[in-house]
Amino acid sequence: MRYGRILAGELHKAATLPAVWGGVAGALLGALAVTLLNSVAARAALENGRAEAWGSTSPFENAYAAMPLTVVGAVVLGVVVISSEYTANRADAGGGRQIATTLTVTPYRIQVLAAKAITVVVGVMVIAPATLLVTVGLARLVIGGGAETVSVTAAVTRCLGGTLYATLTGLIAFAVTVLTRSGILPLLVLIMNSTLVSGSLLLTKLTPLAHWLPDLAGRRLFGGLDTVDGGLAPLPGAIVMSGWTLALLVIAGAVFSRRDA
Amino acid sequence: MRVGNVILAELDKLRTLPAVLLTAVATVGAAAGIAAAFAAGDGGPGAAESVTDVTLRMVPYVQAGLVLLGSLPAAHEYADGQIRATLTAVPERGLLVAAKSVAAATAVTLTAAAATGAGAAAAALTWWRAGAPPAAGGGGGGALLGATAYLALIGLLSYAVALLVRHLIPVLVGVLSLVLIGSPLLAAVTAHARWLPDRAGSQLYAPTDPVLTAATGGLVLLVWTVAVGVGAWVRFVRADP
Repeated sequence: MRYGRILAGELHKAATLPAVWGGVAGALLGALAVTLLNSVAARAALENGRAEAWGSTSPFENAYAAMPLTVVGAVVLGVVVISSEYTANRADAGGGRQIATTLTVTPYRIQVLAAKAITVVVGVMVIAPATLLVTVGLARLVIGGGAETVSVTAAVTRCLGGTLYATLTGLIAFAVTVLTRSGILPLLVLIMNSTLVSGSLLLTKLTPLAHWLPDLAGRRLFGGLDTVDGGLAPLPGAIVMSGWTLALLVIAGAVFSRRDA
Repeated sequence: MRVGNVILAELDKLRTLPAVLLTAVATVGAAAGIAAAFAAGDGGPGAAESVTDVTLRMVPYVQAGLVLLGSLPAAHEYADGQIRATLTAVPERGLLVAAKSVAAATAVTLTAAAATGAGAAAAALTWWRAGAPPAAGGGGGGALLGATAYLALIGLLSYAVALLVRHLIPVLVGVLSLVLIGSPLLAAVTAHARWLPDRAGSQLYAPTDPVLTAATGGLVLLVWTVAVGVGAWVRFVRADP
């Protein structure tokens, strides 16, 4: 069972990277802080009888607003899983890079890359629903479960949609980092594009084709957070975003298997 | 050891670091491109905005470039252990950190000024080519100076955070998440969000806050930078490199 060992090795490496834990902890704590502030404001609005003054008093909505932070966590995971391989050691310790060791012990490049991609998928699929579960729990604790207006079906659908978006974004970050061998560019671009200060959003002012870019195509997966008009519906958007992800992963695989490490 | 020499050496390091040069050039280019995009999207006959208004709208985008540029001078020293060579050459840590800060401030200020200038020029050029004269009025040159000051200060804040944290990725993720995600989310919840560094600093070019003015807002951003900077200075002088 050779492949299982490669996968186990990559999972172990990712789980012992301080940057991964930093990213996960930062995303979780940030999401908890935002949820707490949102929920306290929502409860105050409810108690003052001005529920309509606050956007929504539903615990789920108030927790879900922190989802962009989870996407940042996914980007960090996707980037550091591969950028850590290329970080050079101190010059006085030989200046070596871990990628040389990795490819020595597993000289099957596509399998290494696939194991890393699976690591990203597994990581995000654990982190995103877990974060949402904890933050919704916190919001229900503060606001009270009686104020919930989002049905369980809708909540589960949006949780899955948000998780899919975060997973695909993490994979895109991973694929781009394979190409750049440095995490700076993908971090900068993908964090910016997960906010309203987004380069893709700016491009929609010039051409409607920009709605087909991966981050904007998948935007409706969040559901409910319709801050921007236009663009693709959830299902076609998800297909377009998955297509981008797959294409980038294929390019990353082709480059990774051919160039010098 | 003369402080001038150390400053020159630090500036030389920044000038010859490919990442710094690339970031500065890309930031200025992005400023021009984004301002042109805004001008092309909203310009045309009867546009209600002046060149300054359009240029100011590129500031939230361009600040990401300054965050990266500000983080590099400190973070690159620790990426491969170069800090040891640096401290061997200049063993007086207080002097070194002062010179490094002057060099970093020079780099971010020059880039911020070039980015604002390039943005204004690109916006004006886009409208001139479309044959639509921009509306007069709006914020004048003062607002452009304010935008330059804001961008430079955000760069300096990132420099201070990077000097404290010593790793590029956490600084980049942390500062960008605070400025681009945390600050808008918090502003929706509480009016106290105006004291966040980027919210307060934005008064320098877009004074809309009922409490803070351009001067006090800039001062709040400066206080954040100095507060983080003092922590970074203490760590740099007293802790192991």
